[in-house]
Amino acid sequence: MPTATFLPDYRKVTVPEGATLLDAARAAGLSMNVVCGGQGKCGKCLVFIRDGTASFDREKYRRFFSEEEIARGACLACQATVVGDVQVEVPAGSLIQEQKILVEVPGMKEIPLSPAVRKYEVRLDPPSLEDTNPDLARLLEGIERQGGPPPNRVYAPLGVLCYLPQVLRRSGWHATATVALVPGGYRLSSVEEGNTTERLYGAAVDLGTTTIVAYIWSLTDGRTLATASNYNKQISCGEDILSRVNFSRKSGLSRLQQLATESINEALTTAADAAGIDREEIFEVMIAGNTVMTHLLLGIDPAYMIAEPYIPVVRRMLSTAAGRIGIAAHQNAGVYTFPAVSNFIGGDIIADILATGMAEREEATLMVDIGTNFEAVLGNSDWMLSCAGAAGPALEGGEVLFGMRANPGAIERVRIDPDTLAPSFSTINGVRPRGICGSGLIDLLAELFRACVIDRTGGINLEIDHPRVRKGRYHPEFVVAWEAETSIRKDLVITENDIKNLIMSKAAIHGACMTLLDAAGLAPGDISRICFSGAFGNYLNKESAVTVGLIPETPLERVENIGNGAITGANIALVNRRRRKELDELAQRITYIELNADPSFMDRYTSSCFLPHTDFTLFPHVQQMLEACRARQGVRSWQA
Amino acid sequence: MAMKALDIYKNLPKTNCKKCGYPTCLAFAMKLAVGKAEIEACPDLDPETKTLLGGVTRPPVRLVQVGAGERSVAIGEEFVLFRHEKTFYHPPGIMVQVSDAWPEDKVRSAVEVVRDTVVHRVGQDLVLTGVAVKNESNRPDRFAETVALAGGGSSLPLVLIADDPASFEAALAISGHYRPLIHAATGDNWQALAALAKRYGCPLAVRASGPAELAALAGKCADAGAPDLVLDPAPRSLRDFIAAATEIRRAAVGRTEPALGYPLYLDAGSFGEIDTALAAGILKYAGIIVTPPLSPASREAALTLRQNIYTDPQKPIQVTPGIYPINEPGPSAPVLLTVNFSLTYFTLLSYLDASRIPCYLFVADTEGLSVLTAVAGGKLTETLVADSLKKFGVVDQVDHRRLVIPGYAAPLSGKIEDATGWKVLVGPRDAADLPGYLEKEWKA
Amino acid sequence: MTESSDEGLAIREVRLGATRAEGGTREVSYVIGGERALPFSGKRPERLLVALEICDDPRFWPPVVRDYVGDLSNDPGEWARAAERTYGADLVRLNFTSTKQRGFDAFDAIAATTEEVLAATTRPLIVEGSNEPELDSEVFRRCGEGGEGERLLLGTAEADRYRSVAAAALAYGHAVIAQSPIDVNLAKQLNILLCETGVPQDRIVIDPYTGALGYGFEYSYSVMERIRLAALAGDADLAMPMISAPTDTLSVREVREAVPADQDAMAVAWEFYTAYSAFVAGASIVCVRHPRTVERLKKALEV
Repeated sequence: MPTATFLPDYRKVTVPEGATLLDAARAAGLSMNVVCGGQGKCGKCLVFIRDGTASFDREKYRRFFSEEEIARGACLACQATVVGDVQVEVPAGSLIQEQKILVEVPGMKEIPLSPAVRKYEVRLDPPSLEDTNPDLARLLEGIERQGGPPPNRVYAPLGVLCYLPQVLRRSGWHATATVALVPGGYRLSSVEEGNTTERLYGAAVDLGTTTIVAYIWSLTDGRTLATASNYNKQISCGEDILSRVNFSRKSGLSRLQQLATESINEALTTAADAAGIDREEIFEVMIAGNTVMTHLLLGIDPAYMIAEPYIPVVRRMLSTAAGRIGIAAHQNAGVYTFPAVSNFIGGDIIADILATGMAEREEATLMVDIGTNFEAVLGNSDWMLSCAGAAGPALEGGEVLFGMRANPGAIERVRIDPDTLAPSFSTINGVRPRGICGSGLIDLLAELFRACVIDRTGGINLEIDHPRVRKGRYHPEFVVAWEAETSIRKDLVITENDIKNLIMSKAAIHGACMTLLDAAGLAPGDISRICFSGAFGNYLNKESAVTVGLIPETPLERVENIGNGAITGANIALVNRRRRKELDELAQRITYIELNADPSFMDRYTSSCFLPHTDFTLFPHVQQMLEACRARQGVRSWQA
Repeated sequence: MAMKALDIYKNLPKTNCKKCGYPTCLAFAMKLAVGKAEIEACPDLDPETKTLLGGVTRPPVRLVQVGAGERSVAIGEEFVLFRHEKTFYHPPGIMVQVSDAWPEDKVRSAVEVVRDTVVHRVGQDLVLTGVAVKNESNRPDRFAETVALAGGGSSLPLVLIADDPASFEAALAISGHYRPLIHAATGDNWQALAALAKRYGCPLAVRASGPAELAALAGKCADAGAPDLVLDPAPRSLRDFIAAATEIRRAAVGRTEPALGYPLYLDAGSFGEIDTALAAGILKYAGIIVTPPLSPASREAALTLRQNIYTDPQKPIQVTPGIYPINEPGPSAPVLLTVNFSLTYFTLLSYLDASRIPCYLFVADTEGLSVLTAVAGGKLTETLVADSLKKFGVVDQVDHRRLVIPGYAAPLSGKIEDATGWKVLVGPRDAADLPGYLEKEWKA
Repeated sequence: MTESSDEGLAIREVRLGATRAEGGTREVSYVIGGERALPFSGKRPERLLVALEICDDPRFWPPVVRDYVGDLSNDPGEWARAAERTYGADLVRLNFTSTKQRGFDAFDAIAATTEEVLAATTRPLIVEGSNEPELDSEVFRRCGEGGEGERLLLGTAEADRYRSVAAAALAYGHAVIAQSPIDVNLAKQLNILLCETGVPQDRIVIDPYTGALGYGFEYSYSVMERIRLAALAGDADLAMPMISAPTDTLSVREVREAVPADQDAMAVAWEFYTAYSAFVAGASIVCVRHPRTVERLKKALEV
């Protein structure tokens, strides 16, 4: 049998004499562009004979070629037949290609656009007594001719079959099929009349315990069309994860599931309206949520996750049809949830990891996601370690007398003049202060420390003779803003107790980071990047974070805020199916360290319960800076 | 030096196949690195890699069994010089010494004490390990009779202490099947004793002064077919023992001298300070301690010290969770939340006892973690508190709904109030401040 | 003096007590610390001291000791004298248990008792001041003042109440006991805090808190070992000598509930095992309460 060789990548295949070059190309694994289905009508399957011969009636199809192309041996692959060994050059334009669009994912470098759902415009021959191929087979063959999957790998839901005959006939056999890659094959999600290939949308959702964020994408050109966010309506059933699970245990599971879908739908509707699209045109939804949220969304009982031995029902990526769980998208749209590592390291963290790109790098990255709970992941392309714990609410403004969330009036930045102890601060929206949010608290901690108002355990030195340093009702305190400066008609203070709570929170996080580093046998200097994910990290002053020892000391340029990593990761997994496909494998190879079972965590935690840390050698730059501060203030150096 | 987890991981298949029982290859590597997994658990390693990895995880101190049956003792198989580095695994056998020159009754009653003394502490039964029979009569038959009197090894593990092979021959004829420890092979008699140890499959103590001499003698005995050895460094003073024992253990765990990788032997009766020697032996690496009969007080203190030192420092001792009345509290007495870390519990108990303030100590199950760690690690939660309040029936015992929580649990105060409906008072961080705090803040 | 190079870095030396030549009235002063190796393994013997604890208010003292010392317990001066001369203690630790009573305000008695005990003894003195944070400042000032020039070892500084004892020690030239709850990191933190307040490193003695045998002693034992190892490895913030006071030992169940005939024996055994183990873990000074334990420990250190 003759051999056909396809350039430029020298793919070789043996084919029987008389086979078309199109057959040969397919056999060689090339997807040729054949809009007409190989009838010599569209001229898209242009190839050049470089060597050897093929039988082709060039005159008949002359209209498709330029002079220059004729000179180079142009033919149509579908009409040229193999007669002997032949070498064929396939120009890039004749192949159905991955659209080489790089998508600018917010908070992320460019990602190739390669969605798992695609639309195929097909023009089919109407059936006749001579051609009695059923509608579905006819359609699927048409799809295959367009470079789609082979018919036997495509699953067609009953719902589609019910309207298929009308759509095909009404459209005069010119329709657009939506085919999605699903685990184990493909699914025919929808068939529409005429050409709708331009209208293919997807949604990425961050299903947070408190907040939902949704992005709507055009999957044909990789543009973000709109975003929306709203509160998670489950808050009415409990603020935190544990109370949600408890609510669900009291037979409230279906209610929680309903609230989750309602919350997502609200965000999707807002975003779809803003984008000017119909929600029915959303064909894929990628959802990143923590393990409990994911269980609740899918209606899976989370009760066994909150008691020993803390086992989730499922860890891997799940997919279902939007219609089955009531998501406001096309009813056959695939809804995908991120896989989890454990009940503590959920899909949101896998999404964070995706957002950092740490799984593709050789150098180690440390990623920290901070909320009431924190999760930390350390690793590279070869290995990955994770842990999670409770940071306590202090960093979100809880358990601090004047703590608050990052809402208007919250002090978010603070500087304290070390000589006069006069603070200068900025608030969110620039209004008069009424509280301090997490980033402001970390700033304050760092500044009070630099100004020697507090000692290394966070104790306020009452020997300082200054009106801002005083004995409060229960605890020593520092006045951040006088009554007249605030909007709350009282002095805004931070107490020693607040400071100690903050130190305990930061110590839990630093202790966890050091546990991961020690488990990997790395030193802080070996980390190429530290990425903060989550709202807290977004506003955090990196220098203050290092000064107080919230994270291991590394050069500040290595510290990055990646913002909402969960939504970034969801966006990436939506637009790029390869990244999505790797998620299960990624989740599988992440090793989870149970901090409670790690006896050395207690040690690391305690040694971190100090500013910045008991072991100053871990914070050489902070040490230098403090020595300079103290020397300037004439305070006796501690390294006497 | 043990390999680090990542170094071990590099040699594993990285398939995360879970056949070893761990979720990932890295998790398995981490267990291997701390000696808590066996390399054999991985089915996909070639023999060379196994040798490479197995070699570094083999225990540096040989496990030696003395005695047979229920009360036999296994010593050795230790990995570290300091218990905080991991843990000490095999508590030393404390062997009460009797002499074949003693009257029968005296021997019999000493043996009975060993057999019957049990100290119950924290859920464990602490016992003296066995009997050492010393040949002071210089008569093999007398030695053998006394060995028989001590049970012949069938009930209690034995140490046979003599010089001449003939005495051992006689004693082993009775007790040889029960793996008594033969003490001791020296430069003079080692060939005969090693042969006896080999014949009966018994452990053998070798005695020489100085680690180098011990290593040489141990090497010879092992080569002669007596692999289960115990090293007696023949100390001149207790200080000498501590120094030698430290040096030998260091050489063993550092794998610098494999011939020192055996448990140690200490004769606590040889310095005129029995309690001191017992304590030193327990603290500093002895595997077998032979002692004259002990007073009840010494016995209890020594057994307790042994239990303490051989407690896994990574696994805190736990107190049973529940509600504990202190100083006969009434229904209006304060309820004090704490954790079931035994140290926290006992510390609180001693301060509260001393204060004479009636109260209820409400011990929640934090799996033995201290307040600080339990809060940080999410083990002490409002749900746990609420559930435990219910489980222990606290509402039925007091007529108020106010709960004092530890200062370090302050971050949970609001949540506990919400979850329990009880008013929460944040107590001090330090147990010592608790009585003062209660006097000031608790108004019934 | 030559030291072999395979030994670790030295534990800082701390001088306790002042002779007349040194500005005090003691017949001897002690230097503790200076070791370069693990306990009982160095080239030269350690400088180990056994202290007998006494108090100014026996209501807060273990009954087994009260019964044993009889009337002495009502006379701190005589009790201290007996500690040195009869029981053979290297030094006395005076506990102001009177500050435990509610509404304590007898501050003058603090200074007076300090002076009385100093007069009754010839050796350095350890003074354990207030047990109540609100009294700290005044009590430590009176102790400090009463012992001015005598280079007392003054206790106890803790992480959230160290300023007043540090101030008294600085003002009157004493050394400080820095007590932390059985944790190597907390011990180090407190030392750093004290140094940052101006207390020189050679005037700090670490008290890592000693739990009673059977009641958490193993934690104390390991923490002492870790502190000593860290110091020998060069951690200057932990290179201070240690003091161990297993103060709860005589109130444990085993002692309280022992049959009367065995109670002294049990008390002594319990204290002895705890205290001797503390020496093995690296303590330079061990404090005990039963007079007979002193003698046992002194002997134990000779073998």
